[in-house]
Amino acid sequence: MKKGKVVLGVILGIAVAVGLYFVNQYWIAPATTIAAKSSGEFPQAPAFSLTSLSGGKVSLQDYRGKVVLLDFWATWCGPCRIEIPGFVELQRKYGSQGLAIIGVSMDDGPEPVRQFYTTFHMNYPVAMGTDSLGELYGGIMGLPTSFLIGRDGRIYAKHVGLTDASVFESEIKELLAAAPSHEVADFRPAGYTASQNIQVSTPAEVNSVIPGVDVSKLSPGELKEFEKVLAQGRCTCGCGFTVLKCRQVDSSCQVSLELARTAYAKFLKTHSG
Amino acid sequence: MRPLAASLWVLLVAGAVRAGGPPSVVSARILLAANAVHAGTTVRIAVMARIDSGYHINDHKPSLDYLIPTRVIFGDSPSLKVEKVSYPRGKLRKFIFLDSPLSVYEGEIRLGAILKVSPSLKPGTYPLRGKLTYQACNDHACLPPASVPLEAFVRVVSSSVSLQPAHSEIFKKISFE
Repeated sequence: MKKGKVVLGVILGIAVAVGLYFVNQYWIAPATTIAAKSSGEFPQAPAFSLTSLSGGKVSLQDYRGKVVLLDFWATWCGPCRIEIPGFVELQRKYGSQGLAIIGVSMDDGPEPVRQFYTTFHMNYPVAMGTDSLGELYGGIMGLPTSFLIGRDGRIYAKHVGLTDASVFESEIKELLAAAPSHEVADFRPAGYTASQNIQVSTPAEVNSVIPGVDVSKLSPGELKEFEKVLAQGRCTCGCGFTVLKCRQVDSSCQVSLELARTAYAKFLKTHSG
Repeated sequence: MRPLAASLWVLLVAGAVRAGGPPSVVSARILLAANAVHAGTTVRIAVMARIDSGYHINDHKPSLDYLIPTRVIFGDSPSLKVEKVSYPRGKLRKFIFLDSPLSVYEGEIRLGAILKVSPSLKPGTYPLRGKLTYQACNDHACLPPASVPLEAFVRVVSSSVSLQPAHSEIFKKISFE
């Protein structure tokens, strides 16, 4: 009986240890403030040019030298609607110091967005977003998703989900204090941010025949060969498709994207020179 | 807020990595109330939907006009026509991003409908296809509007063949109005 209790205790102890490992790995660790990345690891924000609700052009390059809060949102998204009054206040408070907020609506059409814009007295440009813009910014998995872009054009923070205005304010102040074109190497996010995993894409990658992989340097023969490589591997996201097919039918799939990019890097090594 | 927001992010990204893109948080299937049907008659069908834990989808009559409703849509076939979809009542839930509660669907829901079989349909197996459209959120973020395909195969038999009821326990709990 006593031996049985000891064995049970050991098994329980191991189970608790394993459970704590996974809890730390996947829940506690990501919740801690992420330390500053080393220099050069904050990606450049992909350029874009959209038409705002008022008909004007909204081009990211026009905001170089300013701190930009780029907010992907939608009128049907409750958490997004809660954040926006805070953004209106931040724009009012810090606009003269160099803050520029840009709203990118992922609604199907502009009408509800126009109504919302007026009702909520929005004081910054809002443009209708596109799937390809979302892909340039690494895929928009949930709304709201906001990016903080420094004066040097780098993305320093990415917030997914409802985030308190005080978090944005703290980060905005830090970025406003930086000199233009200087990387804020010691930037510390105020809240939880996905800055360790800010993935961006280039237009060549988004528009590629293999979405997410810039194959423009391949000859037609090499492209055919590479497509064969991708058609041999299976995507492990659960779609049941080959990597090639998954890329073509679901360009937002992060699993096939990673598999395709890894395969491409290998392909280039064996075909270089 | 931070641990909750963090866990939300882990949930979204883990789901995204697992599923490939934004997580697919709803699964659904069609059940028929009998093992077969006779041409020229009707049969009750149920759409069973399961919403992943932590997420909700809006009531088919959302509490606020800007919310995207949950809907079941079937293909327009003269041979197999779905009529009178009955949606369940939503649950009132309070969320951090709103002062007033919302009527939402969570967990497992059951929708009912009546399937009308054309009198000219010959014995055989016929596909019934449709989709459940929805827009899901959790406490902190929202996923894009999405849909789940629905498919069932309806066996039409001659009127001389007797039919057996199926899934009685499930159909007992559905209100067909």
